[in-house]
Amino acid sequence: MPVLSVRDLSIDYITRKGPVHAVRDVSFELEKSETLAIIGESGSGKTTLAVGLIRLSPRGTKVTSGEILYTKNGLTTDVRTFDDDDLREYRWAEAAMVFQAALNSFNPVITIWEQFLDTARAHGMKDRQKVRDRADELLDLVHLDAKRVLPAFPHELSGGMKQRVLIALALMLEPQLVILDEPTTALDILTQRSIIDLLRQLREKLGFSMIFISHDLSIAAELADRMITMYAGRVVEEASVADMFYRPRHPYSVGLLRAVPRVSGALGSVASIPGSPPDLMRLPVGCSYAPRCPFAIEACRAADPPLVPVDTPRHQAACIRWKHVAEVLGSDAEIPVAEKLA
Amino acid sequence: MTTAVAAKSQVRVAMNPRRYLGDTWRHPVARAVLKAFLTIWVTTTLTFLLIRLMPGSPVELKIDELIQTSNGSLSYEEARAIASSLFAINLNAPIHEQYLSFIWNLLHLDLGNSFLSSGTGVTSIILAVLPWTLFSVGTGLLLSFVVGVGLGLLAAYRRDSLLDRVVSTGGSLISSIPNYLIALLLILFLGVQTHLINFTSMRGAYTPGMQPGFSLAFIGDLFYHASLPITIYFLTQIGAWILSMRSATLSALEEDYVTAARARGLTDGRIRTAYVGRNAVLPLVTQLAISVGLIVGGAAIIEQIFAYQGVGLRLLAAVGQRDYPVIQGIVMLTTIAVVVANLAADLLYSRLDPRIGRAGGATG
Amino acid sequence: MTTAILARPTVGQRLLGLWLASAGFLRLLSRRPVGLAGFIGIVFFLLLAFVAPLFVPFQNDPSLADIYQTPSAAHPLGTDFQGKDVLNQIVFGGRDILTVAILAALVSTVIAITFGSVAAVVGGRLDSAILAITDVVLTLPKLILLIAVAAILRPTGFVFLAILLGLLQWSSLLRQIRAQVLSLKERDYVEAARSLDLGIVHIVFREILPTMRSYIAIHFIFAMTEAMYAQVFIVILGLVPVSGSNWGIMLYFAQGQGALYFRDSIWYILSPILAISLVQLSLVSFASALEDIFNPRLRGSA
Repeated sequence: MPVLSVRDLSIDYITRKGPVHAVRDVSFELEKSETLAIIGESGSGKTTLAVGLIRLSPRGTKVTSGEILYTKNGLTTDVRTFDDDDLREYRWAEAAMVFQAALNSFNPVITIWEQFLDTARAHGMKDRQKVRDRADELLDLVHLDAKRVLPAFPHELSGGMKQRVLIALALMLEPQLVILDEPTTALDILTQRSIIDLLRQLREKLGFSMIFISHDLSIAAELADRMITMYAGRVVEEASVADMFYRPRHPYSVGLLRAVPRVSGALGSVASIPGSPPDLMRLPVGCSYAPRCPFAIEACRAADPPLVPVDTPRHQAACIRWKHVAEVLGSDAEIPVAEKLA
Repeated sequence: MTTAVAAKSQVRVAMNPRRYLGDTWRHPVARAVLKAFLTIWVTTTLTFLLIRLMPGSPVELKIDELIQTSNGSLSYEEARAIASSLFAINLNAPIHEQYLSFIWNLLHLDLGNSFLSSGTGVTSIILAVLPWTLFSVGTGLLLSFVVGVGLGLLAAYRRDSLLDRVVSTGGSLISSIPNYLIALLLILFLGVQTHLINFTSMRGAYTPGMQPGFSLAFIGDLFYHASLPITIYFLTQIGAWILSMRSATLSALEEDYVTAARARGLTDGRIRTAYVGRNAVLPLVTQLAISVGLIVGGAAIIEQIFAYQGVGLRLLAAVGQRDYPVIQGIVMLTTIAVVVANLAADLLYSRLDPRIGRAGGATG
Repeated sequence: MTTAILARPTVGQRLLGLWLASAGFLRLLSRRPVGLAGFIGIVFFLLLAFVAPLFVPFQNDPSLADIYQTPSAAHPLGTDFQGKDVLNQIVFGGRDILTVAILAALVSTVIAITFGSVAAVVGGRLDSAILAITDVVLTLPKLILLIAVAAILRPTGFVFLAILLGLLQWSSLLRQIRAQVLSLKERDYVEAARSLDLGIVHIVFREILPTMRSYIAIHFIFAMTEAMYAQVFIVILGLVPVSGSNWGIMLYFAQGQGALYFRDSIWYILSPILAISLVQLSLVSFASALEDIFNPRLRGSA
């Protein structure tokens, strides 16, 4: 059984002018120790989705349909049925979410140690010595000096250090699932590198499943086993990382890949996707990507294409012209990121 | 040889007062203290000038009065000598010397003697009534802070609910009405029209004849007499605390670390106190110290209305009796108190907020 | 072509602009019932204080027979300790108070704008000096000083009083204006104005200050409330020589003459209390509505 199975999840923002469909019928599965990357532009609904997985959506957001099935030790439950106490247990002990810009994830007026203690106590660990030992252990895992970090206040640590502390804190209760929202954005490039390496090490060592959200394809290439691309609240393509980078079938995924400049070799053509994401309150009839899609035809605007398997069963794309896309790409060997994977 | 010379010139550069002052100016704590002294100095000088230099100055008036009441037996110089001791100013000397000796006396806590009872030092007069004002103002302030902050937090958590609307509107309504009007309304409706409260028995700081001391009876009596002023101070200020805390809490609730804390499974109670509450209340604590300065003025009229013998009432009495040394003394003492309170507020904030190190201050 | 761009608007265009702006403003205000009520209250009291006295005869004859009468047709709010009509005193009682309040607010606003701009524009030592003075004044205990100064100087004319009150209030606005002028000094449109050689006064008054309209308006209103508070404060305490009759003086006599304790004379003391309170409430409500309106971030959520 997969650790997490999301089925037809839809989340709306309620505004005065009507509901905004931020997440629409999203489904995916996450196996044990697998890493899933969710890629999309801002406004694609990826953060709303992630936050929805632990039901931490802000005021005015509503999950309108779907199931979030979580499995542990053979027992499956729907996270949507949890009450407040269940949720508090679930959060962090089963699914830990590390937010974007760790810069402001800590309470500025209490020490890091106290925040570790708060987290431990919230989950029933009352023995201070045990908590202290665990904290030392965790900080060691992320290559930080506990003696220096624990008595410090958040503003005394650098961005990279805070991100590491957050990761350490996330692993405190040995969750099966770790969700990271933009783990490397807002960090400088050297720190990004070290965080990515760290995540890889920890995953090998501890074996948790990971979902991370990013707009950065390179981190997906490094860390993920599978990826999904989201557009306007829907999953438009789901595939293994290799399939996605070598054989994308949805025009949006192609556009994303094309937009990444090559590291080596000649500059080649770098194309950005023309246009901008649609207004989620007034979605066009039919495929929401059609207005920007170079492959769009009349039929695309008729109905929203469903996710269909392409090439292999585990590779799905929501495009009626995927075969045509395959043909076009087959002849064009210029897929920059593929070279990085070689 | 040359090294000694070089060392000497280095020392001289370091001792250059302008650079020293410049560096001091940059250190926020020193800067705050300097500003405090500046304010106190300005007020004392202003008071000195008002008393001494205004046309028909109180000093000259006193001299004339002394001469008149003595039926000419006092010479001008003698009268001036008496006046100068009353005012803590040496009137024989030229003005800048007077000023300096005025400051000198001040530093020795000699504020002169009262006009009316010329044996009584102004300092002792003030000290006799100061505790009552501090007691009533302090209690009112503390109560309004605690209750106001609590209500503000509640209102923010239950945003847009009935409680929120009632508390916010009620708070801003009451705080817009001048405190003396609320006091008069209180007397009008609770005392005169309905006889609910026996006001006459509440006059004064304590029932005359009672043995002062730390006995429960005495302290109870103190609270009884101070209850009306305290109520007024409480009512007039609570609105501001409610509104500030409410808006501070609303901002804190939107902070990322609150969402992150919830994601970690922390209980709502813990988040409310240590995560939201503590962050929201921080800037309000400085406000607390600063409000001391703002209440002190309004206290005068409240003490007058309720016949409560505090510093405010004493000031008004002195004004009525043209007892200028007392007026002078109270003004200066109040200013010093307010300035010190503001200074304390600055320093307190820098100690409470770990983001601002020892070298910081709320107003920087 | 260029002359058309630089041409000054005609009187007609200005009036039309004013009309449209007012209509738009009233529409925004109507969505905030509390603010609207405040606005209506202000208008009402301004009319009562300044216009009503033009139409109502001033009754100033004490009549011992009519002391402390309960409300009747002849005296809708009863009479005072001298037998004079209370309603009449209320009508005539607002003028002094509101005039002083407006003048004091004007004085403090002018000082704040002038010295704030000067400090920001000139900079350097003058700036530091003005800032230091402002900080000092900010921390002074204003009411205590007012008591002392009133006792020593015994101000009679209300212009003097207004200036005195205004002198105590400019500190916070000065800092705001200084900060705003400082930040805008470097902006493009100021550069453009400077390159057109328009002179610094013009730049400050035409380019920068209009953006501060909201701060200034709100400060003005709060300055009025503070001035009213301080005025009535020193009048009730009897620190100013009593001349004429206004709401504050009514309260002074009411307190002094024991009107507080006469059940029949409740309107004598209650009406000035209500009048002053309502004016303060209206001012504060209007000011908060203004804060709301001028804050674009909040506007959408209203």
